[in-house]
Order: sequence, then C-alpha cells, then structure tokens
Amino acid sequence: MPPEFIQALQNMSLATAIRESALVFPVILSLHLTGMGLFGGMILMTDLRLLGVSLTKYPVSDIVNGLRPWKHLGLTLTAGCGILLLWSKAAIYYPNPYLHIKLTLFALIIIHSLVFRSVYRNVADLDRSPVIPGRAKLAAALSIILWISVVAAGRWIGYWEPKGAPVNAAQVN
Amino acid sequence: MALFLAYDVANNPLNTNEWAFPVCEVLHILGFAIGIGTITMVDLRLLGIGLKKETAADLWKGTFPWTLAGLALALITGPLIFSSDPNMYLRNASFRFKITALVLAIIFNYTIHRWVALKQSSGGLAVLAGLVSLVLWASVIFGGIFIAFV
Repeated sequence: MPPEFIQALQNMSLATAIRESALVFPVILSLHLTGMGLFGGMILMTDLRLLGVSLTKYPVSDIVNGLRPWKHLGLTLTAGCGILLLWSKAAIYYPNPYLHIKLTLFALIIIHSLVFRSVYRNVADLDRSPVIPGRAKLAAALSIILWISVVAAGRWIGYWEPKGAPVNAAQVN
Repeated sequence: MALFLAYDVANNPLNTNEWAFPVCEVLHILGFAIGIGTITMVDLRLLGIGLKKETAADLWKGTFPWTLAGLALALITGPLIFSSDPNMYLRNASFRFKITALVLAIIFNYTIHRWVALKQSSGGLAVLAGLVSLVLWASVIFGGIFIAFV
C-alpha cells in the first residue's frame, strides 16, 4: 500500500481523535485487553479440552459449543478495538515488523479455521469417540501455538522503533 | 516504600536484558487470560447466559486448577514487572487502583464467588455474584493498562 494512503488513513478525523485523546486511546486498549482476559482464555480451555487435558469430565461438545458464542463475542470486541488502535496510528505502525508478523499469524489462523473446520463443527462425533482423534489434537495444539504467538507479536509491536527515529513514537507524526 | 529507595533498578535484569521485560508481559497476559477467562466461564453460568448444560458448581470445580495456574502465572510475573521500577509503580495512581481491585477480586473469588457457585446456579444472588466478579476483574485489567497513561 502506498505510504500516502496509510498517512491519509491516520489523518482521518476519527483516527486523529482516538490518537490524540488522553482517555479514548487507553480505554480502547483496555477493552482490547479485557477481550483477551475474559474470552482469550476460553480459546485455550477449548483446545485443552480437545487435547484431553482439561475439563475432561464434561463432553467435548458441551465445552466447544458452549464457549463458541462467547469466543466470537470476545474476538469481535478484541479485533474491533485492535482495528481502531491500528487505524489511529496507521502510519506509525505500518513499518513495524511485529505488526507484519501479527497479521501473518492472523492469516494462518484463518487458514487453520478453514482446514480444521470439520473438527470444530462436528464435535458431537468426538463425544461418541472413545479417544480424541489425532487430527483434533493437532488442530488444538496448533491453535494454542498460533494464539500465544499473536499475543507475543502484539506485545512486541510496542517495543520496536525505526532505526534513527526519535525515541518517543508520538513524534513520528 | 523506604525499602525500595536504596535499590538500584539499573541492575535489574528486566532493565538490562532486551527480552526479559516483554517476555514477562506476554506471560502476564497469558496468565490473566487463563485465570480470568476461566472465572468468566463460571460468571456466564451464574448470570444464566452461558454453559447452561453444566452447573456452576461443576464449572467452578472443573476450572479451579486452571484458574489457579493462570492467576499464579500472572502473580509471579506481576511482581517481576513491578521490580523493574518500584518507585514509579508505588506513586502511580492507576497501579494503586489496580492492586486494590486485584486484592478485592481475589478475596471475592475465593469466598463469596466460590460459595455462591458451589451452592446455586441461578437466582438473584448468582447474578449479583457473576456481575461483581466481571466488574472486579475488568477493573484490574483497566487499572493495569492505565498505569502507562496516567
């Protein structure tokens, strides 16, 4: 994407308002983290159930289906806030390699959800199966790795700064 | 507070190693995501809006070790992060708010929240306990983020 376009995106009035407000930016960041706190752990609990590690007393379908709408709500909240944060500092974040890593991980997560769609959609089959099949365990293990990597890449975005740039990222404007 | 005055933060590995601080932060986030995420599962049941196939007592017992493990991870990495600059944190109003909310949230979780979850899965008391729990834990997260903005 041309840098002018990214800069124009960041210069839009709503983006500028978010970036320059002493309250709005941290509130959106807090909601971004609250989304992870309330619902991110549920991704892990779902995957640990599929791996046969946690909540093993309860049917796989109860856990996977029961948590699904809440994980969707959490993803909407977390991703929605993330997009606002990214938009508000689009030109600042644009060259950040950890942002590129994070976006690549999201692409991998979308591929993961397509490849393993049958595992998560047909969990009732798993209830009837005496052992959890390897394919479901593989899906769960990859999901845990991908999501932990997303958190790590996200945190590292805040530590990168362009070479020779001012220490205070806000001065990049 | 005086305890920290003579302590030179410059020698803390968290301030000398480029990786140590962010690794602690990532583990802190993973810890609270597991800890608070599993508490939220009980809360959704108490509010009567999620995981209704299980009782609140079942969910409390099933998530108990994971809640403890998640909170433990957050409570190990938290003080490490704090040690990177104790005087800054102690003076920070948002940090004080966070610690107050955290102490209340932990006490509430292992007393009233536990008692209600083990006793009943619905009713006014269950809804109230679920709401208080969610508000307390969300306050801890908000307080944590605002440390960097006050």
